[in-house]
Amino acid sequence: MSAAPGLYLSSTGSYPRIGDSPELQLLRRTIVALDRGDRSTADLLDVQNDVTRFVIAEQVKAGLDVVTDGLIRWYDPISHSAGKLDNIQIKGLVRFFDTNTYFRQPVFTGTPLKRGHLAAGDYSFARNALGHLPTPAGKAGKLSIKPVLTGPYTLAKFSLGEQHANGSSGPFAALEDRAQAYSEILALEIETLAQLGAELIQVDEPAAIKYPNDWAIFEASLAPLIKARDNFTKSGRKLELALYVYFHDCAPFYEKLVALPVDIVGLDFTYYPKLVDMIAAKGSPKALGLGLVDGRNTRLEDPAHIARQIERILPKIKGERAFLGTSSGLEYLPRDRAFAKLELLSKVRSELKGGRP
Amino acid sequence: MSREKLEKLGLKLPLFPTTSVGSFPKPDYLVRARSEFTKGQIPEKDLHDLERKATAFWIEQQEKLGLDVLVDGEMYRGDMVAYFAERLPGFATSGLVRSYGNRYYHKPVIAGEVGWRGPVTVDWWKYAQSLTKKPVKGMLTGAYTIMDWSFNEFYPDRRATAFALAKVIRQEVEALIAAGCRIIQIDEPALSVRPEELPIAIEAMEFTTKGQDAYFITHACYGEFENIYPGMLDLAVDNFDLEMSNRDLDLLELFRRHPFTKDISFGVVDVHSHTNDSAGAVRERVEQALTILPKERVWVDPDCGLKTRTVEEAVEKLRSCVTAAKSFRNASATEKKS
Repeated sequence: MSAAPGLYLSSTGSYPRIGDSPELQLLRRTIVALDRGDRSTADLLDVQNDVTRFVIAEQVKAGLDVVTDGLIRWYDPISHSAGKLDNIQIKGLVRFFDTNTYFRQPVFTGTPLKRGHLAAGDYSFARNALGHLPTPAGKAGKLSIKPVLTGPYTLAKFSLGEQHANGSSGPFAALEDRAQAYSEILALEIETLAQLGAELIQVDEPAAIKYPNDWAIFEASLAPLIKARDNFTKSGRKLELALYVYFHDCAPFYEKLVALPVDIVGLDFTYYPKLVDMIAAKGSPKALGLGLVDGRNTRLEDPAHIARQIERILPKIKGERAFLGTSSGLEYLPRDRAFAKLELLSKVRSELKGGRP
Repeated sequence: MSREKLEKLGLKLPLFPTTSVGSFPKPDYLVRARSEFTKGQIPEKDLHDLERKATAFWIEQQEKLGLDVLVDGEMYRGDMVAYFAERLPGFATSGLVRSYGNRYYHKPVIAGEVGWRGPVTVDWWKYAQSLTKKPVKGMLTGAYTIMDWSFNEFYPDRRATAFALAKVIRQEVEALIAAGCRIIQIDEPALSVRPEELPIAIEAMEFTTKGQDAYFITHACYGEFENIYPGMLDLAVDNFDLEMSNRDLDLLELFRRHPFTKDISFGVVDVHSHTNDSAGAVRERVEQALTILPKERVWVDPDCGLKTRTVEEAVEKLRSCVTAAKSFRNASATEKKS
């Protein structure tokens, strides 16, 4: 029996697409070949499927309970969803927070329309891939796939309303209008994901804690998502929404975050060294995602130190339920170090007092 | 005035000086050679000879196009941070990390105390300058960006890391100036990523350039400048080289609200499209710039480095810059006569 039965090891989203050895660079080579016209989109899809299977297997091998598809098919966290909508054009490159990566900026040209799935297809594939893996000892019935969506506020904040040639503003110039438009579309996607069997959906809103003046817009944009969850769970079926924030100091917003009507709040602990003290003092009225392992630096943390931090926090969290993970997705690390960070999560669990050796 | 500073340094540049941001595409023979060198199939000397050949090619191209301030084109570099990290003590190299799309790089790891063993860029600058009478920029990456774009396994925090690196970059600046370089570009594309850390970037740049006898340019791009403007004007440089076209010149609105007080290298062509911007679009961008900025302060260049384009695309984008600048220069001369 684990010392902390309510502590789950969870992916925070992305995973490196390639590694350093030639066999781990197939996806990169295939995209180059596709650009040259030497491969087809069907070839690319095959390789993306293979890499997704591999990434899921690595997470399971590392001992995680809640895994993702690694977001292998995402070009970036913004244009991936926005680019699938009608009346959205994808334009120039913009830096994505302080990650030294970029996203392509969506521009509204009219009311966005959802013609197909945003994440549901990827989720179905990943769930199937997980089902085909041999189940590790003691994990029967305990492994799950978590779909990830970039939230409506972050999508809206990094999108633009159309500007007309005469300098006047086109539709959706207002941030709140863009956020609501995305929110209504994401609510439909949540409904689809839930119908397909997703019981936990991660909604990433990193921009929410970077632009505090927009809090009311951010909060309002969550309402359609919450409504979609509530409609689904009315019949007794299970669906939880996990709101994840990262890439900025979440401490000033902690109380407001845990008061939001989501089921889990995922936090990045790397920006404020005293966040552990703060949570140990204030507690949490809901389950937390504990991003205690730095997902963006190669330095490997001491698992015993993190275990001691968890021992301070966990009893103060409602139901002693938490999801230990990295502070953000792992695509910012080299593949070997990303895997080492996942293994570190298992080492932390073993270090918990009374835990398995 | 920065023009006076340039003249004091012996540099007489025309109105709307044209330049480029730093990198150019590597010719196919060099791309092949770099791959062969990595696999151990050719010796370093062969690679070096081809890097020199490609550098000479780009100096000749810039001369032919009529650019005013040249660059060596970075034929010997891969990534702008990794290049320095590979040559400075204290750094190790990580595995591949994604930048965007299908682009990956070996992100440096700060594994020990960083230091400076001797000049890193000076020989290349000397070589490029020996091929032309026009000024060639010294090209460095700033301390804040090297810090932000490296994994840190050694220093206790980001500020300590940035200052350790500023000491190193200052020594490289001194070496370039000692070699005769008068225009030095210190790239800080990470400048806007953590607005709360702008004071660190400013202090690090101050430490790097203070009391140094050169005209300093910094290049920054693809950031949320609205979060650090006008504070970023305190950076101790003479000229900001900014990506303007990719963002539809939206920074001009900020400049309207608070005057831009430095020289500007105004990005007038998008470097991420395969097609060339039309002459009309480029002219329009310069015209827009001149509604806010005094012409004496405006330089003309592409948004960013051109290394991701083909040689032909890069040449055409540079030609657009030069054509636009010359047309405004001529118009200004006509205006003066009349």
